[in-house]
Amino acid sequence: MDKKFIPKITVFHCINAFTEKTHSIFVGRDDFEVKFIKLPCSSMVKDIFLLRAFEAGADGVVVLVCPEGQCRYVEGNIRAKKRVAWVKNLLDDIGIDGGRLSLSNIAAGDTAAATQIIDNALKNLAELGPNPAA
Amino acid sequence: MSMNAQSRFQEILSKGEFAVTAECGPPRGATPEVVRKKGELLKGYVDAVNVTDNQTAIVRMSSIAACAHLLQMGLEPVMQMVTRDRNRIALQSDIMGAYSLGIKNILCLTGDHQSFGSQPDALNVFDIDSMNLIRAVQTMRDQGKDMSGFELNGPPRMFIGAAANPFADPFEYRVIRLAKKIDAGADFIQTQCIYNMDRFKEWMKMARDEGLTEKVHILGGVTPLKSAGMAKFMNNKVAGMDVPEPLIKRMAGVPKEKAVEEGIKICLETIAELRDIEGVHGVHIMAIEWEEIVGQIVESAGLTPRP
Amino acid sequence: MIVAEQKPLSEIKEIIAPYKKILILGCGTCVKTCFAGGEEEVAVLASALRLAYKKDGKEIEIEELTIERQCENEFIRESAPAVSRNQGVLSLACGAGVQALARRFAKTPVLPGVNTTFIGVLEKQGIFTEECSGCGNCRLDIFGGICPVTRCAKKLLNGPCGGSQNGKCEINPETDCAWQLIIDRLKALGQMDNLRKYIPPKNWCTSLSGGPRKLVREDHII
Repeated sequence: MDKKFIPKITVFHCINAFTEKTHSIFVGRDDFEVKFIKLPCSSMVKDIFLLRAFEAGADGVVVLVCPEGQCRYVEGNIRAKKRVAWVKNLLDDIGIDGGRLSLSNIAAGDTAAATQIIDNALKNLAELGPNPAA
Repeated sequence: MSMNAQSRFQEILSKGEFAVTAECGPPRGATPEVVRKKGELLKGYVDAVNVTDNQTAIVRMSSIAACAHLLQMGLEPVMQMVTRDRNRIALQSDIMGAYSLGIKNILCLTGDHQSFGSQPDALNVFDIDSMNLIRAVQTMRDQGKDMSGFELNGPPRMFIGAAANPFADPFEYRVIRLAKKIDAGADFIQTQCIYNMDRFKEWMKMARDEGLTEKVHILGGVTPLKSAGMAKFMNNKVAGMDVPEPLIKRMAGVPKEKAVEEGIKICLETIAELRDIEGVHGVHIMAIEWEEIVGQIVESAGLTPRP
Repeated sequence: MIVAEQKPLSEIKEIIAPYKKILILGCGTCVKTCFAGGEEEVAVLASALRLAYKKDGKEIEIEELTIERQCENEFIRESAPAVSRNQGVLSLACGAGVQALARRFAKTPVLPGVNTTFIGVLEKQGIFTEECSGCGNCRLDIFGGICPVTRCAKKLLNGPCGGSQNGKCEINPETDCAWQLIIDRLKALGQMDNLRKYIPPKNWCTSLSGGPRKLVREDHII
């Protein structure tokens, strides 16, 4: 019988959107493995970092950014949004499905939102399966 | 206006007759019968027939060939020539060839961009523009020289026409452009089809004020509408067209079976108004792929018999 | 600058299919500015190809390098060791760069990774527009600094045509009619008389129509 699929998820997060509280929601679960990449602003999430995450074996990548209008660097989260959209298309072209990559706005310390984000990502990955290029 | 050209069409205009011209689109194939049939429908109703040159960049039988077929039937063709598909070498060559066949009228145009046509992958030419073409034909006719200054063995003495669009932008510049075309050598002008009579009258007034109507014969263009849909389409999708809202409403206001009749009514009203405008010397009826209606329009407008 | 666009991934995969070991060579000048072939784009493309190949169960070895410019030997020679280590070079430079590489590395296949499009400017961040077609005989002085050869779809010198409406070109409602721009500019400059002047046919000998061009500066050759 197949081993149950435990997805590997890499979380890129802006340090302003992500606090200890949010962090605690992500760790200590046995239904997925998580890696964190901290960024001073979500706009620092370059295309190459997202791709390298998949090269390193991630099944899914989640990018957490501050709510729109609340980026302390004004448009950082908008830049991140545009880049993530671009990379999603590229992932489709590569053939590993852009659905593996997602971006979510989250207010600092919003644990309910964090839980929702994880659950959505897991639901997605259950359908998509493991990264075929891992 | 030149005395060097020798066409019958020019004669009619010089005598001060209100001239009538129509359009004939060549077939998308090599069947001359199609051209002859259209010619038969127009014979006796028009003074000259414009033959389009790969209009809308859709590949058709060449204008020069279709003109030759019409000539053989006793019709007077106006060869339309665009600068989109041929460089100056080919254009001058075709002008001489056309004249040698007996084609004596030419309408010099830039041409719709090839991206609109049936083969948008093609490379366009636009070596020269319509203004340059007008001047080139004038030089060939009046000086007997081609664009390199070479003295021709038999100058083509063409009656030269150009297009004008009183409805394109920018409005103030349109009359400057008309003046420029006349200076370049245009003897006659055929305008884009008129639906906005107010704007056309304004343009004519500006032309008169500049003294241009003394120097060139202007023929107002008309196209009978077939439906409200057609009116809307022309206004929204065809570059350089102005169909006023009241006219669209008028077409939409009649039952579908009566639409064609209404369109013809509007066309006849337009022609009647044109006859009263000082400086307008004729009408150019562009009934695209509807040549059979031309005879009815000309008759109903009281313009038969033709001289 | 020269503007280019990276080829679609599917096309690049087809082009490099015969090779197992390739060098993706970027260029740090024009294509870097238009995000088609600079160092970052080389890295992203290499990563994307590795993922795509892995997904297809195929193998490929990709080396990444970017040099200042691929149109000058001074910089091209820096890539020689890397080129010699690989079976083929996927160049992300413009067509001139690809050819310069091919000239120097005659025994290694040099493949194009971008489609070179035009000479243009950065209108605003992320938007590049075509401005010059290199006709070899510039008359921007009479057209108010707006080129009708490049920016008028019909290259009219005595424009506009009848398809100009609301200041837009008939071929694309988002393209400005160059002649509307010229008229507006000449109006602002008080040079409307330029519009009355008949502009004669252009001499195309100095353009590509006269064959590929060459510039020789004897004063710089020893």
